[in-house]
This record gives sequence, structure tokens and C-alpha cells, in this order.
Amino acid sequence: MSVLKIENLSKNYGPIKALDNLNLEVEKGQILGLLGPNGSGKTTTLGIILGILSPSAGNFSWFDNKYGEKHRLHIGSILETPNFFPYLDADDNLEIVRQIKGVDSKDFDEVLELVKLKGRRKSKFRTYSLGMKQRLAIAATLIGDPDVVIFDEPTNGLDPKGISEVRSTLSEIASRGKTVIMASHILNEVEKICTHVVIIKKGKLLAKGNVGSILSNDITIELLSDNKDVLFNFLKAHPKIKNISQDGNKLECNADKDLNIGDLNAEALNNGIKLTHLVAKKRSLEQEFLEITSN
Amino acid sequence: MLRLIKLEWSKFKKNTTLTLLFIFFCVFFPATLFFGSILPTGLPNFLPSKDSFFSFPGIWEYLGYAGNWIVFFFLGVIVIYTFTIEVSNKTLRQSIINGLTRQEVFISKLINVVLLSAFATLYYTLLSFIIGLINTEDFSLGIAFSNEMAIPRFFLMSFSYMTFALFLAFVFRKAGIAVFFYISYVIIIEPLIRMVAKEKIYSGAYINYFPMNATEDLMPLLGAKTTNSFPTNMDFAFLLTFKEAAIFTIIYTLIFLFISYSLFIKKDI
Repeated sequence: MSVLKIENLSKNYGPIKALDNLNLEVEKGQILGLLGPNGSGKTTTLGIILGILSPSAGNFSWFDNKYGEKHRLHIGSILETPNFFPYLDADDNLEIVRQIKGVDSKDFDEVLELVKLKGRRKSKFRTYSLGMKQRLAIAATLIGDPDVVIFDEPTNGLDPKGISEVRSTLSEIASRGKTVIMASHILNEVEKICTHVVIIKKGKLLAKGNVGSILSNDITIELLSDNKDVLFNFLKAHPKIKNISQDGNKLECNADKDLNIGDLNAEALNNGIKLTHLVAKKRSLEQEFLEITSN
Repeated sequence: MLRLIKLEWSKFKKNTTLTLLFIFFCVFFPATLFFGSILPTGLPNFLPSKDSFFSFPGIWEYLGYAGNWIVFFFLGVIVIYTFTIEVSNKTLRQSIINGLTRQEVFISKLINVVLLSAFATLYYTLLSFIIGLINTEDFSLGIAFSNEMAIPRFFLMSFSYMTFALFLAFVFRKAGIAVFFYISYVIIIEPLIRMVAKEKIYSGAYINYFPMNATEDLMPLLGAKTTNSFPTNMDFAFLLTFKEAAIFTIIYTLIFLFISYSLFIKKDI
């Protein structure tokens, strides 16, 4: 089932094209990472599909129009910042969300437990740290058990502890089988959580697909030897190796995925090269991202 | 509808600023009686005697005029605040993200205006009735309510001030500038425009038909009507009749509501 369908969506701010003819479809159960540098149009896209910005052209539909105008009641979302009444506590703020969603259950224990705010539920929102505010916002998205949750830069501005707390909460939510859309520019975050990725830049879609297909099959190899020049020439002559570069002391290169790293070590030894360091890594999303967005 | 009222109540019942403004309104309104009671005795002879301020039917006009200022000031600011605080905390945006439609947001703010107007009118009626009852010797219901429709006039006046306040909140979206424009428009800008229009463009009754002047004329100062019979160099009256004031106030109110709605329904939030 299609959860979200975006067709030819554009948004102009005067002469600036924040979003340029975007097409996208999100299926049920996908954990979609919306990637792009700052100012690429991620938040604009989310703002339009959440009804707070009006598009200059194009259209979108949620849940195949099953819920009509009321589709946002089935979506839990944070956009940019956690938005709550500063003079109300967690319970009161969640109560307001509950009333809007039209949900009966007034039991916020479970969601507050999930984001570890149960102990501070009676403190006013304005007394919260940024991490706590962000976590309350995540809790709010889960009220009424929505089909889809949307997070916009969920770990933005948090300290390392906050980031890891939020990340584990997100993984937990993702494991519940909900459809998740997450905008981010922090790539290992997306790589760890998402099943699918969309990369946009300057409002244009550059790539989309599942995380595996975006990540190319090449592996990256790091090598170190006492005689670097000999090693370099050896790698250069090797048929399965390309893109050799120097990274500090180490040499780094890309190789076909069928290259066996043990064989490579043996070949090197046969050529009189003793490797002191040899590591094979899968290419990270970050490398792919930089390559895709640099063009 | 009840759902929207409950929602607004949940948002604002614990807000200190609003609670204080509301208490001020409830205290200052009857406190204006005190000012009436300490007026010097030798009033100019075109004004009614001081005693008639507090007995029927004078009390309706006296408290009505006092309410004119108090409602304009306190309730107008409350209405601006209930919208702009939601803009600055971005809870307006979040409410829509969470699932309210823009129509529902607009209606809930309009309901605030209606409920506040109804409360103010009820409070005005109660105060006038009690004070009038205490100070009128020959009491009868006929005398008590011979007030030229003061109660609906008061409601319309309150509704008009608050609609104008809401309109400015929708336009400016920031509390400071909206409150500043609201107060200065009513007290300075519109009277200035009317004065300049009269002096420089054309001196005629049309200067009485400006929106806030029409609203003010729904509840004019006690005795101000007699000034209409003063000989002046103007060939038109100082005040609108109640009927004229009511018709024009309703027209302006509808215009303000229409513009507010059109602005809000499609604007990026």
C-alpha cells in the first residue's frame, strides 16, 4: 500500500527554488531516510506534506486518500524543533496532542517510559534540557499509535549522550513496524536505522532506493607497509584495484567485491611486500553521499 | 465545537499572563464605579446629575461606557495574546501538524472571541443590575430594563473590539506589534485620520463612520448624546445613532473576519 505519493512538487520562495519537481513514493513499512545537505529542501518537503506550507506546484496524497482531509490525525510528526507550551508540564502538553488526535486513552505512561521522561512528567516544559524536549516531542508523535511517524533532524543540537538516547528510541520505534520518514544530514544515523534512502540537493531528487542499492558494492581497503612506494606500484598494477589514495600514512583504495583480502595479502608477500596493516571496509553511506551530492 | 472549546481551555487555563489579565478585567470593571463616585459635585449642567450614574437607567450607560474602555483594553489584549503566543511557541504550527485543519484553528479563535464577549456582557448585565437595584428607589423591572437595548449593544461592541484585535493578530503575528497597533489605532491613528479628513478633505458626517468610532458609539459617554443638540459650526451630529452604529459595526466586523480567514487559510505557517 502506498502511504505517501508526491507528484511534481515544487516550492518557490521568490526566485529561489526550494523544491524543484520532486517525485516520491513511500510504501507501508519503509523506514525512509531523507538525506541532503543543509538547505536542500528536506524541511520544505516535510512542511508541504504536513500542511503548513502550500506548494507552488504539484500535489501529494496520503494513504491513497483513505482519510481525506483528516490524514494528519494518522501521522505523528516533529518538524525542526519540539513545539510545546513552555508553562505546561509533559502530561498537560501530551493531553493537548491527545485532544487534537481525538484519542480516548489518557494513559501516557507507555510513551513517557519509552523516552525516559516519566520521572520529569510533572516538570514544566521550559525547565527541560534540549535532549528532554526532543524526547518529549518523540513521545508526542506516538500518541494515538499513528501509522506513520516523521522526524526532522531528530538529533540536531544534542550532546553525544542525547544523540545515543534519541537514536536508540528511534530504533525501537522503527522495530515496531511503523512507516518512518526521517530527514537528516547525519549519515551514519540514517545508515543504522533506515531501509530506504532518498537524496536531495537544491530541491532536486538525486537518488533513491533501498540503502543497499545506494551503497555501491565496492569495498574500501586500507593498507600500510614499510615500503610505501613499492606497495603503491603493486596496487596500481593490480587489475581489481582502483582509486588509490593516501590517507595519512595509509594507502586507501577501492576494490571489486569479489577480491579476497587473504589472496591480496599472499600476492603482496609474493612480491616482497610485508603488510603491517590491512583492513577491508564496506563503503559507508557518507562516502556515497559525498560522491552523489558533489556533482 | 465543544472539542475546540475544551482544547483552548487545556492550552490556556494555566497561563499566568492570561489569568492576570482576566482578573484585572474583572476587578477594574466594577472599580470604575469608584471613579464615578468621587467626581466633583458641581458637574457642568448639561451632564446629568451624578446620582443618575448609579440608578436605572443611567447605570447601563455609565457602566457601558466604562466597559467600552475596559473591554477594549483587557479583552482585546487577551485575544491578541491567545493567538500570538501560539505563533511564537510554534504550537499553532504543531496543532496543524498534529491534525487540526486551518478552519478548525480559525474557528477555535473565533469561539474565544464569542465566549469572551458573552462573558463580558453577562458580567456587565449583572453589575449594572445589582448597582442599579441598590441605588434606585422606585424599582420596577420596566425601569430596570429601559436601557435602549444596552445588553446587545454591549455584546456587539465587545465582539467588534475583539474581532479587530484578532484581525491584527492574524496580520502581524507578533504580540508586541499587534498590541501596539491595536491600542494606537483606536486611541490615536483613527481619531487622527478622522481629524485630518475633516479638516483637509471634506467636513461631513462620514468621519463618524470609521470602524472603531462606530464601535465606540455603541456605548458612548453618559450625557454625550445631549452634545448632539449643541449649536456648533458643524452641520452633522457628533455621534451615530445606535442603529447606525450597530449596522456599521456589524459590516466592519464581517469584513475583518473575512480578511482574517482569507489570510490564514492559505498562508505558510
